[in-house]
Amino acid sequence: MRVRNEEKVQLVKQKAMEMVVSDGFEGFSVNKLARACGISVATLYIYYKDKDDLITAVALEEAKRMGEITLGDFDPELSFAEGLRKQWENRSKYILENPVASAFFEQLRTSTYQDKVMECIICDFKAKMGTFMQKAIKNKEVDAMPLEVYWSVAYAPLYSLLRFHHEGRSLGGKPFVLNEDIMWRTFDLVVKALTPSR
Amino acid sequence: MNTENILLFKSNIKTASDKFAVERILDIHPHIEQWTVDQQDEDCVLRVISPRLTHNHVIDMVKGCGYHCEELKD
Repeated sequence: MRVRNEEKVQLVKQKAMEMVVSDGFEGFSVNKLARACGISVATLYIYYKDKDDLITAVALEEAKRMGEITLGDFDPELSFAEGLRKQWENRSKYILENPVASAFFEQLRTSTYQDKVMECIICDFKAKMGTFMQKAIKNKEVDAMPLEVYWSVAYAPLYSLLRFHHEGRSLGGKPFVLNEDIMWRTFDLVVKALTPSR
Repeated sequence: MNTENILLFKSNIKTASDKFAVERILDIHPHIEQWTVDQQDEDCVLRVISPRLTHNHVIDMVKGCGYHCEELKD
C-alpha cells in the first residue's frame, strides 16, 4: 500500500492554493500541480478523483484551519467589545500570516466551489457567534440588526485595512502599512458605531 | 482507502459524448465500484476503483469503445 507522506500533503495544498491565486481556477490542472510539486500525476490521482475534488478538499481543509484559528480561543461569554476585539485579533492574525490562503479564499468566493466550502465555514461560525451575539443583544451591548448590516460595520473595516496592507497602498496609491495603532483606532470607532445610544 | 484498488489511466475521453460512450460499459460492470474521468486535465485521467480488475482489463474495455487508454504510471 502506498504511504501518505504528510509533508507532501501539505506541499500539495500550499502549491494548489498558490496556483489558483496566480492562474485562476481555469488555469489550474492536476498535471500542472504535480509538476510544481515534483511528484507524479498518478500520486495525486490516487488521493483525488479530479480537479474539482482536489480543489474542494484543499479548500475544506484550509477553511477548517482558518475556523480553528479564528474561533479556537474565542470565548462567547466575553463582553461584546472584548469578543469583537478578539475576533479582530484572530482574523487579522490569520490573514496576515496566511496571505496565499486568504487570496485563495477571495477567489473561491466568486467561484462555483463557494457553496460547498462556505457551508462548512458558516456552520462552525453560526454556533459560536450566534451564542455571542444573542448574549450581547440580551445585555443591550448591541442592537439586533440584519447580519449584512452588522458584518458591514463590525468586520468590513478590518478587511479594508488588510486589503490596503496587502496591496501596500491605500486610496490614490498612497503607501500603506497596517500597524496596531491604525487597527485599534478603527476598531474603537467600530465599537462606538455599534454601541446603542442611551 | 485501499489505494491498491485504484487503477489510473491516461485517456482521450474528452467530451461529454466521449464520457457517455464509456459510461454504458463502465457503469454496469460488476467489478467496478466507482469510476471517474477528469475531463479538465490534459491527460483526461480515468480513475477506476476495482478490487478485481487489472489495468489490462480496463484498457481493453475502453479501447473496445473506441478510445485511447494507457496505464498512468507513477
